[in-house]
Amino acid sequence: MKRHLTVAIAAGLTVAVGVSGCSKGSSSSGDGGSDKTIKFVAAIYDDNTKGYWDGLIKDFEAKNSGYKVDLEMVDWTQMDAKVKTYVQTKQVPDVLNYNAFSDFARDGLIYQASDVVSPNTLSDFSPTFVEQAKYNGTQYALPFISSARLMFYNKDLFKKAGISDAPKTWADVKADAQKIKAGGKIGYGLPLGPEEAQAEFYSWAMNNNGGWVDASGKWAIDQQANIDTLNFLKDLNKSGLTQPNPESTDRKTVFNQFAQGRVGMSIGGPFTRAGFIDPVNKNLNYGIAPLPSKAGTEHNTLGVMDILAAFKRNDGKNKEAVRKFLDFFYDKDNTSKFLKLENFLPVTKSAGDALSADPYFKQFVDALPTSKFAPTGNPAWSAVAGAVKQQLGTAVANKDPKAVLGDIQKTAEKAG
Amino acid sequence: MHDVPDSGDVSPPADAVPGAPRSGAASPAALRALRKLAPLLWLGPSILLIAFVVLWPVVEMARTSLQKITSSGLTQGWNGVRNYSDLFDEDALIPVLLRTVLWVAGVVVVTLLLSLALGQLLNARFPGRRVVRWAVIVPWAASVLMTALIWKWMLDNFSGLVNRALLDLHVIDRPHNWLGDPHQAMLWMMWVAVFVSLPFTSFVILAGLQTIPADVYEAARVDGAGPWRSYFQITLPLLRPAVLIAGIINVINVFNSFPIIYEMTGGGPGNDTDTTTTFMYKLAFSDQHVGESAAMSVINFALVLVMVALYLSFSRWREETR
Repeated sequence: MKRHLTVAIAAGLTVAVGVSGCSKGSSSSGDGGSDKTIKFVAAIYDDNTKGYWDGLIKDFEAKNSGYKVDLEMVDWTQMDAKVKTYVQTKQVPDVLNYNAFSDFARDGLIYQASDVVSPNTLSDFSPTFVEQAKYNGTQYALPFISSARLMFYNKDLFKKAGISDAPKTWADVKADAQKIKAGGKIGYGLPLGPEEAQAEFYSWAMNNNGGWVDASGKWAIDQQANIDTLNFLKDLNKSGLTQPNPESTDRKTVFNQFAQGRVGMSIGGPFTRAGFIDPVNKNLNYGIAPLPSKAGTEHNTLGVMDILAAFKRNDGKNKEAVRKFLDFFYDKDNTSKFLKLENFLPVTKSAGDALSADPYFKQFVDALPTSKFAPTGNPAWSAVAGAVKQQLGTAVANKDPKAVLGDIQKTAEKAG
Repeated sequence: MHDVPDSGDVSPPADAVPGAPRSGAASPAALRALRKLAPLLWLGPSILLIAFVVLWPVVEMARTSLQKITSSGLTQGWNGVRNYSDLFDEDALIPVLLRTVLWVAGVVVVTLLLSLALGQLLNARFPGRRVVRWAVIVPWAASVLMTALIWKWMLDNFSGLVNRALLDLHVIDRPHNWLGDPHQAMLWMMWVAVFVSLPFTSFVILAGLQTIPADVYEAARVDGAGPWRSYFQITLPLLRPAVLIAGIINVINVFNSFPIIYEMTGGGPGNDTDTTTTFMYKLAFSDQHVGESAAMSVINFALVLVMVALYLSFSRWREETR
């Protein structure tokens, strides 16, 4: 236990030191010395990511002599804590690959997009994503990859239950789930655990005209459409049509069960095939359909976008090197290579059709125009997403949906 | 030890008076002062280390709790007591505090009781004792995170060992999600906390048992004391220092325990299985409220101090450690 004590003390101190805004970290800005060396922090999407960046950086350094890129790979589970520490200790990287940017923009930490990429690159981004990359009307973030969500369903289970088509309305979902349950399987796999509750919930709420904000951009998390959505999901759970305890189940568990043929329907993305289904069962007979909506007339898709952000360092002297590197990455061949490797959807017009040749990916590419995004341009979004991940699931278990959404609304208003 | 300074005290004046009057006037006092400072040579490094590693972070923690820190991590000056008032506004705070008390008390009491029995067993002579002693150490040697992860998988709803065994024994008729319900999850996590605390505690008890001289028992036996009587009137009272140390270290450890809860339930659903330690982490990294999280950690720190002080005063440690 002495070891535990040491660990506990060390951990406590790390937190204490990490939390303390120790403003003496300025020595770090001197590292590397030259303005031609930049630090790039990239997220690990899967095992191939590091190989891609190593290759790209080697290529970049060969073609731009004198310029250097120091690469640091960070796992997504560590990313939030790392990024906070970078900012607090004033050791921000020059370029960061992340999923949020607006609070950096608000705090004046990052460059506007037009400062760090050429006009050519800037005009190549698809307008849908440029909209998501803006803070107060100015584009700060550089769209990096995108993703969309659709309904995955098990064709064999559907056939066995005597269902011919994928569900279009919420009533269809419930009826189909009941038939699948009668066959001893899980009707709908509902992951409302902390991993991605915000994505799962929004995929349903947006198809009931609900969402995070109202028309004027104000938080509207406790609106009636959202309450109705949660009541519907709660009913699925209470009727035994989902896996047990959706409030503590994460996506990976649900798709592991889906791949084993034990779940009738669940919402997944382009990454689902390579990441979840193929490693478990390559022969699974499944189909992909638009997200069901309450009325069944209009089907929206959840869009997700990750970004690159360029931090201000050395009084702006890093701008030149950052621009060279970013323009190099946004070259058509380099971006499409990354998308193909990692199974993501494009954010630029030029890389547009890299994936459409594969019928699996084509469905997601085609769904992108109907996609709706989380309000990532609002600096309070990460706090809201955090609260949603922690709290939302309890609404389909033992808590009242209205009260849970009300609490999250309060958190949102407090955060800004 | 006392002889050395004494003889040193005597000899300089004897030399000083006849031999060297110039330096002799100042030197006895200066020397004495210097000699008083001498322990600093030995204590200094550890004092510096404590100041740097313990006191400085505490000051920084308190300072952070009074600062306004944006969600990106930028410090924007003083925030008064806003972080504290935000914290006290959290609906989850009171349940989390109560749960923490239950968590600490439950885990420590059960650990101590089991360890008293285990220590007795390990102290007894039987064939294979060495193997059993090693077996008890194993949970200690394994990383806490690893242990928590393994238990999490054993309790898994779909592929867990526990469900499999209970299904095969027909105790339950369909898999149960043990970590889904906050009450059951809490009990399971307390069990894991007990499990990882047992080795240290039982070895402290074992060490305590080995300091009790055999002739005390002999005398008791001669006086006609049975096994129960000699346990409660000899063993237990003589074990007090060991139990005290084990108790206090466990209280601090269990209070600060993060990996078990974080790995097994993440404090969820909602905040229903959070203790103050995991709650503090979530305030900073889910709610993006670093200042409020620092306020929570100041309160956490104060709580540990209070608990330790109470524990020490109840157990009258001064008499024990003398």
